Amino acid sequence: MPLEAPARIVSELTSRGYNAEREAVTKLASAENPQAALERVVNELPEDALVVRTDHVDATLSRADATPDSPGGSTGPDADSAPGSRTDPSVSTGDAVPDPTAADGDGPVETKGGGAADRSVDPELRSLEIAGDMTGQSTGTGEYEDFVAVFRDRLERLGSKLRGRVNHRPASAIQDMPGGSDVAMVGLVNDIRSTASGHWLIELEDATGTFPWLVMKDREYVDLVDELLCDEVLAMEGTLADDSGIAFVDSMYFPDIPRTHEPSTADRHVQAALISDVHVGSDEFMEGAWNRFADWLHTEQAQHVEYLLIGGDMVEGVGVYPDQDEELEIVDIYEQYEAFNEHLKKVPDDIEIVMIPGNHDAVRLAEPQPGFDEELREIMSAHDPQIVSNPSTVTLEGVSVLMYHGVSLDEVIAELPEEKASYDDPHKAMYQLLKKRHVAPQFGGHTRLAPEEQDYLVMEEVPDIFHTGHVHKLGFGKYHNVLAINSGCWQAQTDFQKSVNIDPDAGYAPIVDLDTLDVTVQKFS
Amino acid sequence: MREVDERYFERLESRLDEAFDVAKRAKERGADPKPEVEIPTARDMADRVENILGIDGVAERVRELEGEMSREEAALELAEDFAEGRVGDYESRAGKVEGAVRTAVALLTEGVVAAPIEGIDKVEILENDDGTEFVNVYYAGPIRSAGGTAQALSVLVADYTRALVGIEQFNARDEEIERYAEEIALYDKETGLQYTPKDKETKFIAKHMPIMLDGEATGDEEVSGFRDLERVDTNSARGGMCLVMAEGIALKAPKIQRYTRNLDEIDWPWLQDLIDGTYYDDAADEGDGEDDADEDEAADDESEGEDPADGDDADEPQGPPRVDESTKFLRDLIAGRPVFSHPCAEGGFRLRYGRARNHGFATAGVHPAAMHLVDDFLATGTQIKTERPGKAAGVVPVDSIEGPTVKLANGDVRRIDDPEDALEIRNGVEKILDLGEYLVNYGEFVENNHPLAPASYTYEWWVQDLAAAGADVQALEDDPRIDLEFPDPEEAVEWAIEYDAPLHPEFTYLWHDISVDAFCDLAAAVADGRIEQDGDGSVNGNGDDSILVLEHDDAVADALETIVIEHRQRDGEDRIEVDDWRPFVRTVGCEPRKTVADGAALEPDADRDGRTEEAEPSIELERTWSDEDLSDRARNWGREDEPDGANAIEAVNEVAPFQVRERAPTRIGNRMGRPEKSESRDLSPPVHTLFPIGEAGGAQRNVADAAKHAETMSDTPGVVELQVGRQRCPDCTTETFKNRCPECDARTEPDYRCPDCDESLEPDDAGRVECDRCEREGTCVEVREIDVNDEFRSALESVGERENAFEILKGVKGLSSTNKIPEPIEKGILRAKHDVSAFKDGTVRYDMTDLPVTSVRASELDIDVGQLQALGYEEDIHGEPLTHEDQLVELKVQDIVLSNGAAEHMLQTADFIDDLLEQYYGLEPFYEFEDRQELVGELVFGMAPHTSAATVGRVIGFTSAAVGYAHPYFHAAKRRNCDGDEDCVMLLLDGLLNFSKSFLPDQRGGKMDAPLVMSSRIDPSEIDDEAHNMDVVSQYPREFFLATREQADPEDVDVEIAEDTLGTDTEYTGFEHTHDTTDIAMGPDLSAYKTLGSMMDKMDAQLELSRKLEAVDETDVAERVIEYHFLPDLIGNLRAFSRQETRCLDCGEKFRRMPLTGDCRECGGRVNLTVHKGSVNKYMQTAIQVADEYDCRDYTKQRLEVLERSLESIFENDKNKQSGIEDFM
Repeated sequence: MPLEAPARIVSELTSRGYNAEREAVTKLASAENPQAALERVVNELPEDALVVRTDHVDATLSRADATPDSPGGSTGPDADSAPGSRTDPSVSTGDAVPDPTAADGDGPVETKGGGAADRSVDPELRSLEIAGDMTGQSTGTGEYEDFVAVFRDRLERLGSKLRGRVNHRPASAIQDMPGGSDVAMVGLVNDIRSTASGHWLIELEDATGTFPWLVMKDREYVDLVDELLCDEVLAMEGTLADDSGIAFVDSMYFPDIPRTHEPSTADRHVQAALISDVHVGSDEFMEGAWNRFADWLHTEQAQHVEYLLIGGDMVEGVGVYPDQDEELEIVDIYEQYEAFNEHLKKVPDDIEIVMIPGNHDAVRLAEPQPGFDEELREIMSAHDPQIVSNPSTVTLEGVSVLMYHGVSLDEVIAELPEEKASYDDPHKAMYQLLKKRHVAPQFGGHTRLAPEEQDYLVMEEVPDIFHTGHVHKLGFGKYHNVLAINSGCWQAQTDFQKSVNIDPDAGYAPIVDLDTLDVTVQKFS
Repeated sequence: MREVDERYFERLESRLDEAFDVAKRAKERGADPKPEVEIPTARDMADRVENILGIDGVAERVRELEGEMSREEAALELAEDFAEGRVGDYESRAGKVEGAVRTAVALLTEGVVAAPIEGIDKVEILENDDGTEFVNVYYAGPIRSAGGTAQALSVLVADYTRALVGIEQFNARDEEIERYAEEIALYDKETGLQYTPKDKETKFIAKHMPIMLDGEATGDEEVSGFRDLERVDTNSARGGMCLVMAEGIALKAPKIQRYTRNLDEIDWPWLQDLIDGTYYDDAADEGDGEDDADEDEAADDESEGEDPADGDDADEPQGPPRVDESTKFLRDLIAGRPVFSHPCAEGGFRLRYGRARNHGFATAGVHPAAMHLVDDFLATGTQIKTERPGKAAGVVPVDSIEGPTVKLANGDVRRIDDPEDALEIRNGVEKILDLGEYLVNYGEFVENNHPLAPASYTYEWWVQDLAAAGADVQALEDDPRIDLEFPDPEEAVEWAIEYDAPLHPEFTYLWHDISVDAFCDLAAAVADGRIEQDGDGSVNGNGDDSILVLEHDDAVADALETIVIEHRQRDGEDRIEVDDWRPFVRTVGCEPRKTVADGAALEPDADRDGRTEEAEPSIELERTWSDEDLSDRARNWGREDEPDGANAIEAVNEVAPFQVRERAPTRIGNRMGRPEKSESRDLSPPVHTLFPIGEAGGAQRNVADAAKHAETMSDTPGVVELQVGRQRCPDCTTETFKNRCPECDARTEPDYRCPDCDESLEPDDAGRVECDRCEREGTCVEVREIDVNDEFRSALESVGERENAFEILKGVKGLSSTNKIPEPIEKGILRAKHDVSAFKDGTVRYDMTDLPVTSVRASELDIDVGQLQALGYEEDIHGEPLTHEDQLVELKVQDIVLSNGAAEHMLQTADFIDDLLEQYYGLEPFYEFEDRQELVGELVFGMAPHTSAATVGRVIGFTSAAVGYAHPYFHAAKRRNCDGDEDCVMLLLDGLLNFSKSFLPDQRGGKMDAPLVMSSRIDPSEIDDEAHNMDVVSQYPREFFLATREQADPEDVDVEIAEDTLGTDTEYTGFEHTHDTTDIAMGPDLSAYKTLGSMMDKMDAQLELSRKLEAVDETDVAERVIEYHFLPDLIGNLRAFSRQETRCLDCGEKFRRMPLTGDCRECGGRVNLTVHKGSVNKYMQTAIQVADEYDCRDYTKQRLEVLERSLESIFENDKNKQSGIEDFM
């Protein structure tokens, strides 16, 4: 029955957790043996694929004759690009997602274990170290000098990564150099503006003063101007104008992640779940999805998940926006945390948990945000989690994970062109932060800064994984071998999000293999 | 026009002419920017329109058209004239369209507001994608002042003219359409719109709009999508355009349609779809449409379902008529501005209908005793935000309404009808049980198109009920022994029974506020009560000094407080005493029976006449009914949202021997808005002379300092580099910046040059100066060295003053006008001498809150009858000859009452003007006032912000209230109403002598609030039509009061309003009122808001008052103060702190971020934060304390806790925390 074939294929794919393009289904239906073709296609799908696309079918079918039983295609995210297999996440909420192990154990890598709840825990094998936690170290008192010190520290530490690359001079010295000289400077971007003739004037500032740098509109570096944010650290090289009042940029350097960066990996097969934005207490908190997630962690498929990292917004909070109380399931902030703790209890107790606060949490909004205070820690005592500041770096069996809630992503996305940073590809915005080696460079805009004795927001060391949340969108990819993951959320679309047409990726848990840094996404909504 | 009116206006105009002559002579002599008076007189609207636009021939054409057609039609007619070149001297088609559009807006706004000049920037012709041309109208923010209808019609006129001059329609690109939608949403979020069209609606309009609507950026926020469009210069919201599109086209579509139908040249068929809302064309949306239809049907079904039911119950409604609560007015409650009553709350202001003589036109009448009892927070002119019928109102004192009722600490419950009493007992007030009556006139409901709210039962209604019941009211009124309005309780009962009329309101209590159960209990308590002679010999109107004594019981006390009856609670003696007990006792269904020793009962009425001095006659109270006698209807009476039997009025009517009406079915919630205002208008910092001195005068802008200032030792003191306009003497070619040649005293002319080629330029006919070669605009502004010292000294010398004549002479930093012509310093010297300061246009102004008044007494204006007579007042409002100070006279439309402060300020200004005439212009003084009585009869200008036309007014007297009382027509001529608006007065000759357009700032809105033209007489047809809705009768008919119970549409009731006399002989007269008031300035002179010191004091007083007021929920007030004041302040400051700018303490330079050097990059000075810890957490502890004390929600408390911890986290060092004492033990 020719009419039935496509329907059957769609239902078969759906039952295995895949969505499919119409044309892909047509192609499968017209194959000699649709059932066999379907099996092959499914087997060969990339691990993180959500949708069976025409090119998957084409690739499989074209190879069908030669290697009928060829095992899977590519796995893991592509280096330096968005995971090609993941399509537009905005449509994914309603879709089925591969749950490789759930249905029939046909899944790829895991070996079958014994009892459901047990994981191969050998506490000796685990290691978890925290760095950059400023909880209890907040020494700033909000004085002018504190602010100055923080920006100086930023220039000092990020500048040191650039000073070796250019023959830099202080701003005050440059204006005394003869016109036409080759010059270079390392500094904070103080101002970016376009000139009447369409060129760009970038003012760099160091500890001696400022100096203007002109990027000509026809130079190759002009595209980089779009990426610049105020107060990030840059190096510029160029030629002084005749009157030494301005320099013409020849090249621009970011602190960046070295291309040669080789990430560390764990010595054994062990996984970490990276989630964020739970929003307990909100009317829209997806309790069902969370319970499925917690249940799944008890299954044998999740037996290697030994770490759970939560990137902020445990609860919906109080007074985050006007009239928030009308959208709260739990109005009392302490009860929100108690409820969160109850939800946390459902997670297997042999999982190590690390959490940082977010902008909905009951800590100061200005970054760095210290970890929760004693009162809240006592409430969230389930499984004795590690509660650290936002941002902090946690090293799991040698793999360093920079955890940052992600408020600055809003700003990066707003300021940069869409192709460089958008809500649909939040990891691309994260690449920008990696490139700038700072989690929230721009001062005075969206992101708030609390001055401390040092700039805790600098990425002094290159992390192996960069984990953020906040924008409620799922996205991951690698930038110079650093895995950037923005986890989705556990809160369904809110009225506000509906009004601005944001479709959150809710109920996903990205799982990272710490031995390979490969990512699989588990869907629970 | 009546002859008296004609005489009045002629009188005004002759005084105006007198002043004009003086000003003209003065101007010819002085060194002002222009040698003539710069405020042209307009006798009518046509004149104003022409003067504001500056297009010759408009006035004449407008007058021609005015008689024949409506103003809107005239605007379209004029568009044709412009298109065909009959009016205006425009070469280009764009110019013709521009002229037509401006004229239309001017015409529709009566030539008063600045919208036609400031709100329309330009009209240009651009190209569509297919190469055809279209018209782009460029709107600016001030178009707002034109109002929706004029905005919408400006588009229509632009389109019509476009069609006439042969330009194609505009075809918006898709991205432009999307941009409109996004932009309007953004503008609404940022600034707020009265009406916000849905995105679909906006896109629909944008798609069909035949001309392009464009405009200047008005906000900082930028759109996120659809940026950098080729034909849209900005990424910010274009405010003017948004207003025109949303509040103009979208909101006023039906009005425009009325005119498009009659025009053949243009066709806007899409308007119909816009009006019907059928602008969804894709399939999915049709579904929506169907849904809507379904809903409608469903609604219809419902109402059909209800209808028969309603029909059945028609004779027996389910509950009393009530208005719905509206909490809107409580929004954005401000700390220090109290709530007087929550929405519809018992104990709040009771709605009484009527218009007092100082009332109407967006005002609310409040008893002066109530003003004092709310701790003086209300004063004459204080603005209140109100629940209904409008949004806001100005408070006026009216003492012919009922005052508030309070419970004193000694247990007395008293109604306070005298402001003196209020002050006396104020300290002993424990609770304000009832705020008294709140007078609102019928016209307010018409203006706001608000259904009538059920009326309180008041004397003016009762007396008509009595007449309707067949009583000879006239005879009763004429009986000298009877006070119909405030009768004896005996009489009241007698009339009610004899005529079968409702009980007199004076003895009608608020039965509807207690439950049936409470009523039954009260009746039982009364039946158990006894009548005593209180022995004080006072006759409480009972014909004897008997009182009703009840046993003390909390429930009884509570019920008595709720129905608001005067009584005394004597807790210790276990008794409650009621004085006027007879109507009360009868109302609760008890009969007083006089028992004598033998037990025989006497008829109660008999004892009055046939009083016998029998031994110990005692009166017993007999309850004539039992709880079971009540019908189900009475037992369950109440509104749907109340529990059954919440309202005892039906029960009362079943048991009382007469009809009892609902005393106060409508309560009106309100809170304080803005305080009243009466103060001189100063620039900040205040300025005496519009002469620039740069930074040389220091922060004070002290001219004397500038005269001594030298940058370095080698500079000549007083020589300052300034930007001024270059002038040249046409006779001897001397170059100067002055308006008269220093060499030959000839008047100089601006010397325009091209900034590129330095070619000397002449302005063209339109006043534009352009260099043909370089295509650049020419300018006469240059930086030049001016010897301020010399200027200052010679000015002192020329007016013959010494430096010690004044404390300080303040100049300006720089000039903001196009040609930067400085004002002669001489004028500043004389201003400084008389301690008055100049506004940006050179005039001296005094601001006052506007209030209306239609009849006045000489006694309250601090003038005598002779002065009134001298002003042309001959008879009082009853037509009697004017002989004594207490007679009421009807105010003439252009007469105004100055506040004491304004009078004082006017005297100073007059002294300044006299000195100016003598010492500067070399003329005779004009005013020569000795005391303020001489101000009476002098002319002033009234002038409102956002307008460009002044209205001539005449001073008639003075008031101690801090407001400007004037005829409602005078305010309406300035386009103000009286809901707390304020505007200014200027002394006539000051305006004529010192105003110059040349001083007006160059930027957008610079021409607003400047007297570009003046109206010498008010034509009632040409004022803001809001004033036409004011009612002008002396009594509202009984049908009106009955209709309020039906909540009828105000238009369906017959009460005469001012509109009815427009265009007739009596259009200037016959403003009658229903309520008198003893004095237009009663109650406190100033609101406590202005007399209390710090914000904290105000807030404490606000919260304290909220505890005292029965009608206010103090927890809600505290919540709102925290929610709308403290939290936004704390959150905002905290946010500002963590992303703040910094500023150099020495040179003021600002930095987006702290400089890495730590010091100022400009001057090396010290840089510091702009937001400090102190400003962030100043309210933290107070907020926490208030939340605690007033028992706020946990949600609120927790928000504060979280914030407090954030503050600690940011401002405290974790390692150096302030520790408790135990750390040291």
